[in-house]
Amino acid sequence: MSIPLNIDWQQILLHLFNFAILAGGLYLLLYRPVKNFMEQRQNHYESMHQQAQQDREQAEKLKAEYEDKLSQVEAAITQRKTEAEQELSQLRSQRVAEAKQEAEAILAKARESAKREQEELVSSVSKELVDMAVTAAEKIALGADGDPYEQFLNLAERRTSHEQSR
Amino acid sequence: MKQNKKRFLLLWLCICVVLLVSALVVPGGGESETIQEAMRDAVLHETNPISLFGLCTVNPGYISSLVVTVVLLVAALLIRVFFIPRFQYVPGRFQMLLEQAVGMFDGLAKSNSPWRNGFLGAYVFAAGAYIFTGTLFELFGFQAIATNGNSVTLPAPLSDVNGAIMLGVLSYLVIFSGAIAGNGIRGIGSALKEISLLISMSFRLFGALLSGLLVTELVYYYIQLSFVLPVLVGVLFTLLHALIQSYVLTMLTALFYGEMSERKERRPKAGKKQAGEPLQNV
Repeated sequence: MSIPLNIDWQQILLHLFNFAILAGGLYLLLYRPVKNFMEQRQNHYESMHQQAQQDREQAEKLKAEYEDKLSQVEAAITQRKTEAEQELSQLRSQRVAEAKQEAEAILAKARESAKREQEELVSSVSKELVDMAVTAAEKIALGADGDPYEQFLNLAERRTSHEQSR
Repeated sequence: MKQNKKRFLLLWLCICVVLLVSALVVPGGGESETIQEAMRDAVLHETNPISLFGLCTVNPGYISSLVVTVVLLVAALLIRVFFIPRFQYVPGRFQMLLEQAVGMFDGLAKSNSPWRNGFLGAYVFAAGAYIFTGTLFELFGFQAIATNGNSVTLPAPLSDVNGAIMLGVLSYLVIFSGAIAGNGIRGIGSALKEISLLISMSFRLFGALLSGLLVTELVYYYIQLSFVLPVLVGVLFTLLHALIQSYVLTMLTALFYGEMSERKERRPKAGKKQAGEPLQNV
């Protein structure tokens, strides 16, 4: 039976045989090696990506740990600072109290010293006054005429004016 | 620089004019067959069979397919031996071209048939390479001697109806195998529903390639049409339909393969109610 359009089973099978060889050859020589290489490269980059992701996760974990430690250290520093400030303020108030005490002692001493000096001064002045009075009385009594009482007063007055002019 | 360019243009024009004049002046062999005979032979390949190593006579298309197969296999072997071992993770131009070709067909298979695509990728790669190279083969115009002593220009392998039927039927069988692999016996039924693919894929390919061949044959038959026009018809159209036909057949095969090989869930029978399903009030 002849088939129209010159369709020939033998030639169809020959074409099929030909194509089977071609397909097998292309698969073995070209398709599979190139595909394998592409998969290998993809795996390589995926593993690199995974490695990078792991490294990143580890770095983030480390960062979190360090931040935690840093915050702990900061808290410790703050606590130490507070303690130091408290200590300093205690020391300061203690020093101030000591200084006050010292100042009061100095003041008391100075007052005492001033009082003693005043007393000494008063006693010396009164002694001098007594001496002056005695001297004046002697002068009046021994040589001068007139009322001794008035002489005494004149003498005292002269002396006072003389001191003022000085 | 400009002078050199002018010289080149002048020389080129002179050569073209000389070739044109000589083509017109030199006596031709004349048409040995009418246009009807030429085109009938282009379709049927009845008048100029070629002897296959003295074993039997075959159409010129089969010789073309042999040449294409040998060329492709030798090229693949050379690439396998000299280029693939030197592939780099950062590809060069040629490596990129190869990866692009393989990746394109692999991607076509994966996108159309995500559940089963290993064999499909290899098949569409081979079919695409065969159609593309086979169609470009007719550009070279290799000659062969027919059994009757005529010189025959070797056509594209798939412009031979037997070659086109082979590829169409094989593509259908690949789709059929996908249906069986995906759904077992039930897959046969769904594949048989698409039996028209057997005819449509074969004759679509044959018709597309034959139409290109016929137009080229028509153009080359008349000497008046043999200037400038063949650049468009012979080269650009051939390149274009080599690409288009490779894409169409591989895409259709991948599409139907994916559709057939997809696992279909069995519908629960209407009479049976599933456990835990609430009863509906009628």
